[in-house]
Amino acid sequence: MLNALACRGPDSAGVALYGSPQPGRMVVRVTLGEHPDARIPACIHAAVESFGASDFSEVGAYLRFTIAEQSPGAKLNGLIKAIETVSPEVEVVSVGRALEVVKQVGSPANLEATFSVSAFVGSHALGHTRLSTESKVDLSHSQPFWGHGYPDLAIVHNGHITNYHQLRRRYEQRGVRFYTENDSEVVAIYLAECLEQGSGLLGAFEAMMKELDGSFSCLAATASEMGFIKDPFALKPLVFTETDAFVAVATEEVAIRAALPGNYAVSEPQARAARVWTRPA
Amino acid sequence: MTQLNAADLSTRELNSRLRDLVARDDAEIHVENPGARHNLAVAMLKSGKIRFRGSVGYYCGGLADGISIEIDGSAGWGLAESMLGGTFRVHGNAGNGAAAAIRGGTVVIEGDAAARLGVSMKGGTVIVAGDCGYMAGFMGQKGVLVVCGNAGDAFADSLYATECYVGGEIKSLGTDAVASEVTDEEAAALESLLAANLAPELRALKPQARRFRKVVAGRKLWNFDKREWKIWREAL
Repeated sequence: MLNALACRGPDSAGVALYGSPQPGRMVVRVTLGEHPDARIPACIHAAVESFGASDFSEVGAYLRFTIAEQSPGAKLNGLIKAIETVSPEVEVVSVGRALEVVKQVGSPANLEATFSVSAFVGSHALGHTRLSTESKVDLSHSQPFWGHGYPDLAIVHNGHITNYHQLRRRYEQRGVRFYTENDSEVVAIYLAECLEQGSGLLGAFEAMMKELDGSFSCLAATASEMGFIKDPFALKPLVFTETDAFVAVATEEVAIRAALPGNYAVSEPQARAARVWTRPA
Repeated sequence: MTQLNAADLSTRELNSRLRDLVARDDAEIHVENPGARHNLAVAMLKSGKIRFRGSVGYYCGGLADGISIEIDGSAGWGLAESMLGGTFRVHGNAGNGAAAAIRGGTVVIEGDAAARLGVSMKGGTVIVAGDCGYMAGFMGQKGVLVVCGNAGDAFADSLYATECYVGGEIKSLGTDAVASEVTDEEAAALESLLAANLAPELRALKPQARRFRKVVAGRKLWNFDKREWKIWREAL
């Protein structure tokens, strides 16, 4: 699907994949930066020992490992801090029972070449290919964004959040750390906060409609839910289809048709539309 | 009938083949595997018949004059944009900005239309069997816009003189748009327009379609008067 949309923006590409959870474990993905010091992985090993870390592996610029499951909804700030104090280049890209975020600068084809994303087996996934408009092109600024500190939440966003600076100030006053200058990051932080308060994804979307201004076609997922929201003016494209076998949402229908053969209807949701699908237990 | 496989052709090749075939008075062309690609059959300026055996992407049939296009799937943004004449029939749904700024011809959408349907129409006829979204009919100047299902927010905002009819609920009217009853004469004209363009089973899907309302301009925005600044402050 992403290859079909790469012409919209090949600056960077990424996916948030939801695999099968390993009982009692959480997957942590850490980017080591552009020119990692060979000693960094060992330092991270030491830093996360107390979290019961194991299964270390390194692909591309990423270190992946698992830790003992943290209590549901728990803030993972201690873990993130322990890892990120190792080096300013190091960043925790995702933590979750099922979630694994993989992103890098370059086109979706490059992403596939480096990480063999198509070989991943899982229940659902979000993908993004980026045309940078207002913030810089690097791994941190690319999407999907993890809901930092909230396990398993990932978002992708097309649009422009016009009250971004106001929201950012509000969160920063509360001590929330922003990793980028990208306005889409605030969507992840906002939804993470709503989910933490127990609203569920649809409730979080409803709150987002009231509090976030500007244009947005946005997808979000957790281990159990996946959904989209469209802004009040329907400024940004988004289409979806729903069959007995799958749900597919994309910026353009061309992406859905390229990936999923068959006879099904596709429609563009109306302004203010929000839909959430729950994964069967 | 000629068959073309879009999967084997670039968009430019496909459009140029379509233009050649239409120029040679080929009665009907079927395009297989359109794959929801953009800019298909743009600027077709002769009469002829093209059927897309699947969905099309953005701007399908834009700037058309005289062509008849049938789409078996759905259409992306800007279907038939700025058309001068011709007929379009979409069996599925249409994306944002369908039939925007058309000057003539007929666009029939058998499913739903998304936002900004028929904005700035300067003529022609648009019929939607299902619902339409936000800002449909915005600044319509001429022509006829018929929505059999429900209309979204800000319907017919800043309207001039497009004849707008809605069969279902109107979520909200746009600035200066006024809903009124249809006269017997208008109801009869509407009935024959729908009978000519929609199959009976499509019309039966929306039982409320028989109780159409007409939306007209309140004409408060047609002429600027600085004493009416309050209306303008709201409108702009």
